[in-house]
Order: sequence, then C-alpha cells, then structure tokens
Amino acid sequence: MVATPERLGDLWVSRELLRNLVGKELKVRYKGSALGFLWSLITPLLMTAIFTVVFATFLRIELGDGNFATFFLSGYLVWQFFSNSVNSSVGAIVANGPLIRKVYFPREVLPLSLVLSQGVHFLLALVATSPLIIYYRGFHPELVPAVLIGLVLLTAFTAGVSMIFAAANVGFRDLQELTQVLFLGWFYATPIIYALFFVEDNAPQFLPLIRANPMTWFVELFRRMLYGTPAREGLNPPPAWPPLESWLVCGAWAVGALAVGYWLFNRLAVTFAKEV
Amino acid sequence: MAEADDAPAIVVEDLHEIFRIYKERPPGLKERLYRFRRADFTEFHALNGVSLTIRHGESVGLVGHNGSGKSTLLKCMARILPADRGTVTLGGRVATLLELGAGFQPDLSGRENVYLNGSILGLTRREIAASFDSIVDFAGVRDFIDTPVRNYSSGMYVRLGFAIAVHVDPDILLVDEVLSVGDAGFQEKSLARMRSFSERGKTVVLVSHALEAVESLCDRVVVLEHGQVIFDGPTEQALTSYRRRLAGGASEPAAVEAVETDPDGDGRARVADAVLTVPGHDPAGPVPSGAKARLDVDVRAVDDLVGRGGLTVGMVLRRPDLPSAVYETRTSWRVTYVAPPPPGESLRASFEFELNVLTGTYLIDVLLGNAETDVVHDVRRDAAKIVVRAEDHDAGIAPLGVRITLDNPEGVWPPESEPPPMSEGGPRFHPARPRTGHEQRQPQG
Repeated sequence: MVATPERLGDLWVSRELLRNLVGKELKVRYKGSALGFLWSLITPLLMTAIFTVVFATFLRIELGDGNFATFFLSGYLVWQFFSNSVNSSVGAIVANGPLIRKVYFPREVLPLSLVLSQGVHFLLALVATSPLIIYYRGFHPELVPAVLIGLVLLTAFTAGVSMIFAAANVGFRDLQELTQVLFLGWFYATPIIYALFFVEDNAPQFLPLIRANPMTWFVELFRRMLYGTPAREGLNPPPAWPPLESWLVCGAWAVGALAVGYWLFNRLAVTFAKEV
Repeated sequence: MAEADDAPAIVVEDLHEIFRIYKERPPGLKERLYRFRRADFTEFHALNGVSLTIRHGESVGLVGHNGSGKSTLLKCMARILPADRGTVTLGGRVATLLELGAGFQPDLSGRENVYLNGSILGLTRREIAASFDSIVDFAGVRDFIDTPVRNYSSGMYVRLGFAIAVHVDPDILLVDEVLSVGDAGFQEKSLARMRSFSERGKTVVLVSHALEAVESLCDRVVVLEHGQVIFDGPTEQALTSYRRRLAGGASEPAAVEAVETDPDGDGRARVADAVLTVPGHDPAGPVPSGAKARLDVDVRAVDDLVGRGGLTVGMVLRRPDLPSAVYETRTSWRVTYVAPPPPGESLRASFEFELNVLTGTYLIDVLLGNAETDVVHDVRRDAAKIVVRAEDHDAGIAPLGVRITLDNPEGVWPPESEPPPMSEGGPRFHPARPRTGHEQRQPQG
C-alpha cells in the first residue's frame, strides 16, 4: 500500500512519541509498588537462586570450576528481555484499541516502545548484576563494546518477533494465550539452564532443533561475553569476544526478523482500526 | 483567507469504506476455522463513492444522521482507516481531534500526560514546552498539574485534553464532536480558539451534531446520507436543506436511523429495563410541565463486547403526532466513554432531565449501540409514556418562558381588575371569568 521509505519517515517523525511511550512504560510499570525498579533486578536474582538450588545443589549439574549461578544468570537475563518484550507486545495492539481507532500514528511504536523499555530494564539488570559476574568470572572491560553490539542485535531480533506477534494477535486473539505456553516450551528449547554440551553428549538427535532456535545463538553470544565458555570438567574459559560465526548468525537473525516483522506488521497495520 | 495556493488541502476521490459486521465474534482461532466454511458476516457500506476537494483555508462541516458515514469519512481523512477503494490525498500536516485525552495514563501526572498526549497528537517536545503554560491556563488545572490525572474530575480531564488538542497547530485540523464538552464558558473559549484557527487561513473539517457550532464555524457544509454526499455547498443553504430533511419525516425518528442492518439491533447487548420516575408525581397521571424526571436504563451485555469500543446509551423523547423527535441525546454525544460490562453483567445509565414540554402525550425510546461504529445492539421503543399537562396559556411543544408586556394607551386590565363596559373599549368577555351562555348571547352595545 504505502511505500516503505514513507513509512520509515512516519516512524522518524514519531520518534518523540516513541520516547514518551518508553518513558511512560518505565514510569507506569512499577507505579505503586514499594520496590519499584528493583523488581527488574529481584526477579532474575530470585530465579537464579531457585534454579541454582534445584540444578546445582539437588541435581548436581557439573560445570568444572565454573559457577552455576552466573552461568544461569548470563543466559536468563537475555531470555527475560526477549520473553518479557514479546509477551507484553502480543496484546499491545488490541489493548490500545481505543487509541488506534481515534488517532493516527505509526502503529509500530506500540510494540517498539515495549521492547525498548524492556531493553532499559535489561541494561539496568546487567549493570546491577555485574558485581556478581565480575566476582566469579573476572573483570573484562574490553568486552563492553561487544556487549553493546550484542544488545543492538538482540533488540532488533526481539523487535521483529514482537511486531509479528502483536500484528498476528489482532486476527487471531487466541495467540495471546498461546504465547505463554509457547514461551515455556521455547525457554526449555534454549540452552539457559543447561549448556549445549549436555545436548551433544546426551541427546545429539536434538542438536539440530536447538541450533535452529535463534535464541540459542543469542544466549550463547551473551554467555560467551558475560560468563565465558561452559565446560563439564576442569577449566571454564573466562569471558571472551564471541567467534565470528556467532556474530554472523545473530546478525542474520536480527536483520531477518526485523525486516519480516516490520513488513508483516505494516501490511496488517492498515486495518487495525477496523479490527480492534 | 485562502492563499493563492493551488494544491488542495484534502482530495477525496471515489472513496469506499466497507465494514464487515460479524455475527460471531470475537475472532479467535476457532472462529477463524469456522469462518472458512461459512462467511457469517454482513457487509456494511459506510462510504459509497465519496468525492470532494477541500482547499486550503476552508472550514467545512460534515453533517448527517448517525450511520451516514460522516465520522468514517473523517477517519479516512485522518488516515486512521484505510480506503477500501478510492484515494485520500492530503496536502499538509494533519491533526485529528476525535477523542480528548486519548491515551491519557491515569497514573501519570497532568504534566507528564501533556507531553505524552501532545506527542500522540504529533507535537514535538519543544512545541509542547513552548505552549505548556498556555495549555495549563487554558485548561485551568494549574494547581493540579503535578497530580496524577486519575484524581482529576471528568471536567478537568476533558478540559486538559481539549487544551492540548487546540494547541496542536497543523495545516489541517479534523475535529469530531469534541466541541460539546465542558461548561458554556469553556465551550465559548473553545469555539473562539477554533475560529481564530480558521481565520489564520488553516483548514478545518468539523463533524458535529451541534448544527449551531457548524453554523458559526464553517463556510461550507457537506451533507452525507447512506455514505454518499447529498449536498455540498454554502453553510446556510446546506443546513436549511438538512433541517428540512430532518423535519420532513423522510426518515424515521432519530432513534432508528442508525439501523441499517437490523432494525431491532443485533442483540449483543440488551436494554434489560427502563423505568421513568417523576419524583412527587404519579407517572401514570398527567405531570406538570417542567417536572423533574429520571429515566433509569439497565443495560445487560449478552456477548463479550469488551475490546469492541464503548457502548452508547441514548434516549429519545417524542410525541407520536410529530414527525421528528422532540429531544434526543446519547452518552457518546456527551463524550462519555461507557465501557461495556462483561457478558451477563449489567450497567445502569440514569438520565435526569426536566420535562420542559407543553401539553401532550410523550413517548420515550431507549437505544443501545456501539459508540464507535453506530452498530445498534437494541432498541426499546415506547419504553415509557408520560402525559404532560401545561398551563392553558401556551400551545405547541416547548415553553419558551414568554412574558408579555403591553404598551397600550387605551388601557390594559389584568384579570383581577374590573374593565369598563364594551361601549367604552372594554372586553366582550372578562378574561378571568368563565364564559356563560348568557354572556355570549348578550347583544352588542
């Protein structure tokens, strides 16, 4: 219908709206709760504590000289950003129906503002948990640029997936319910509580499936930069720049998801005002 | 006013807009699969080939019955709705006022909402900052600007919404029915603001039921009926023709005009009960003109309407011997958002009013529909009947509170005084005494 450059121009014009919506999300989210912003840190820390007790203490997952808590946290923070973004975006269009029927603005600012506000939470959680990671895995300031590039790629991928879910939910309202189950399965299909070598050793037939999961690549990318390389025995090599292959695969997923998500979203967005 | 700019502000060409009204909603996966087998919707043609050109500097009013397509046309101009066929071309920055305080966040302060709402309406941060004081003063909420808007009264809420809206300074302003909020003073201020806007050579398109507002603001009026332009011309002519149509009885009373698909509504919500009470009077017997009355309407949601937009509850007062309604209002015309209750739940809408009508038998119709699409859910015709008995010195429909003074050197005799005989200019019959057969047969002189 409308050419993409024109649509991107609209989005550029609406950057202030996007910024205000992100600000609103950050302000409103914890309004009235005593701990406020701290919740974006408490949740991953509690999850880490639970999973560490269950998997490292009860089930005795072996990571050589590694530390399960930081191993889990380095993957879980990435997952939490992705999962929270998509799960809040999926209903964003339907929930903002009254606004969509009354005002014109580029509809993609709704999911994008949610993704960006989750990005802020992610960044804060990274900073706040960094003492833990530094204590167990060493101080590696040279990796900060790599983490930031990774964050850009992850945000692009997350934005693409969020737009797909948000747009699809307008036509198929069941998606909102389905997403929660889907993400539970997706969580376990991503090497967050386990390392890839467990799959290689115990169930190699599942390896292609796990590798086809884009979140595997993003979790591995961040884990390399925050935790290092997990190993069953002996030394777990410390944090390092991820290999080129990781960058290329993550980059391809990021660009692909963003392009498909943006295209699909805009295709469906024209009729949102009629459907919601 | 209009500059010698040849490019028009808005060009609408052969615009069609079709809504599918599904019998079974909301659309979930199950319904989707079901729908593949049987298309269970009716098409509603909201716009049927509308073409018009609006030049820069024009102020155009769009009028028509509910369901005539005027709001849909405005939404197409605003790019909220896509054209199903035809095109809309805009030549300038557009701002749309369809709802005041759209996207207000109850938890944020007035100040934060000014920035948020302003950016939704397309203002930049700098523009908002520049007119911030003016917005706050216009709305009269300076003392509460750092209070969360959840604590605002509904009046403050719409005033702030309107104040932000009128500070948007686009080339083209599209306004739908938002001028009718607030008290008289605020309305006057708002109208003045709109007028100054159009005097500065900006383009205004106004949708309104308030024909006086259209009259005072617009120099051109487009009348729509059934999604088509039936008149397009100077305001005076257009409104004369439109009023004649309204009164001409060509169409039913307003309550049933919106019904294009099913005259009794689709039944997705019902008027469960409608009770008229006239405190201090027996509603069965005649009540005096001006008596305070109250109509309680209980509305029950049958289907899940949550997420389909607000409900509108309307009342129509009519006298069966008159072609048009005596009075009609709806919650949606008063910019009141009525959230639909969950299925099976009820809500109550109470209309308090004064029966400022003259002698006659009046009927009240109750209407329930969707505030956004004008889809009718239920119509309760003749929900209440009331007989009004007014003083004998008036006739017609409405008491106008007329006081008569006479300037007559020959004399005026109020009822209590004794007039001179007829031969000296006195009356044939004494106005305060009952006429008797004897008096009537009294010979002259």
